[in-house]
Amino acid sequence: MRILLMGLLTAGALVSADPAVIEKGRAEEKRQCVACHGLRIIQVQRLSRAAWGRELDKMANWGAALEDRESLIEYLVANFGDDKPLPAPPLSKDGRK
Amino acid sequence: MLTRRDWIRILGVAAGAPASAQELVFPGKRPMLVQNDFPEDLESPVEYFDTWLTPIDSFFVRQHLPRPKVDPGAWKLEISGMVANSVSLSLDELRKLPQYKVPATLECAGNGRGYFTPKIPGLQWKKGAIGNAEWRGPRVADILKKAGVKPQAQWGSCNGADAPVAKTPDFIRSIPMRKLMHEATLIALEMNGQPLPEIHGGPARLIVPGWDGASWVKWANQITVSDKPDAGFYFATAYRYPKHSVAPGGAPKPGDMEVLEGMAVKSFFVKPADTAKVGMSPVRLQGVGWAGEFRVARVEVSTDGGSSWRDARLSPENYNFAWRLWTLDWTPPRPGYYTLMSRATDSAGRVQPIEAPWNPSGYLWNSVDRIGVTVEG
Repeated sequence: MRILLMGLLTAGALVSADPAVIEKGRAEEKRQCVACHGLRIIQVQRLSRAAWGRELDKMANWGAALEDRESLIEYLVANFGDDKPLPAPPLSKDGRK
Repeated sequence: MLTRRDWIRILGVAAGAPASAQELVFPGKRPMLVQNDFPEDLESPVEYFDTWLTPIDSFFVRQHLPRPKVDPGAWKLEISGMVANSVSLSLDELRKLPQYKVPATLECAGNGRGYFTPKIPGLQWKKGAIGNAEWRGPRVADILKKAGVKPQAQWGSCNGADAPVAKTPDFIRSIPMRKLMHEATLIALEMNGQPLPEIHGGPARLIVPGWDGASWVKWANQITVSDKPDAGFYFATAYRYPKHSVAPGGAPKPGDMEVLEGMAVKSFFVKPADTAKVGMSPVRLQGVGWAGEFRVARVEVSTDGGSSWRDARLSPENYNFAWRLWTLDWTPPRPGYYTLMSRATDSAGRVQPIEAPWNPSGYLWNSVDRIGVTVEG
């Protein structure tokens, strides 16, 4: 039983690092999030898996019809996890006439 | 309500277009640090804060919901609820009321969130979600007196023309009557002598001096007077701060969360820039300091990592609600790396702490500012 559980956990870890899953998550982000806001507000953040989960719950309550929540979480943790430093925000171009 | 398809059409972008493919330029604005492009959340680089009034083209932008389409000719501010007479005022009628000027510093409650550890969801502002402007317009008290507020009324719930997207809550903030009736609380029609720009809430926004930016409702078109505050997310849940401090990462009980009101005492360096290299000649250190509803009474600067402190010289503008500029001339004693620090004290005796308390939403960051400079011989 223990060996089976460890096997499942290992498989889970492998799935979480699967680039195909992360790409599915990236597609889900583009599909779902831009209806209401730009992607930068997501991508400037660096959050734990649990915190990203809470954010997705909040967004689902606010109308995001997530179709692939699990892939989206893997994508967010892989790219915007709290083990990574905050990015420097980009500087816009001069908008004065 | 607008559908997702409507928004995609309005935005003029395909759902899959990467944000990086869109050009980042915001009409009327100098280059800004882009925390988000839709809706616009724009941070001012600190070097812009070298004047007492922050020019409109340098002023930060925070929006919860997409900017509404504004027709100034048809604009109305409506007062309803626990009043003797509901009133609806056009911009012309608002302009005919006595006009007042209030210089006041506007700061996002989450300014500095990006410095907290553990990390906190939300915009990762560093220093620049702040600016100081001169706001002009009628007093909210004069408008409420026209409507005749009933004695049992305790709150005014303020709404703007910005509308929810999908199922997001509407952005409504309740302000207690004591603050709404304050002589410095305005409906601003002008900012720094110009008609209030749309991106800053024009044609009309609430000015709640000394309080968190969320209270300064943009595109204000409705105040509902009541004996109760609004029950929606942006007042009942968001913009709250723990009554008792919590360990970093901790979760206070919901009942221990209080509504944010006045902002903290704070200062930071504007020049030199963090990580700058300077020579052995005298250097002018400069920055800003502010204190929510109070006045900045003192700014001290350390050039030795906090071992010793000297008083900076404060600019002559000395008002509640508005920041002050500070300067200190420093002659480095020898080459090397220096940790420079600034800390403000206000007229209520509050002192900028060494470490701002972590809190679940990342509000009120006001730790002693520190920058590093290298003095080259």
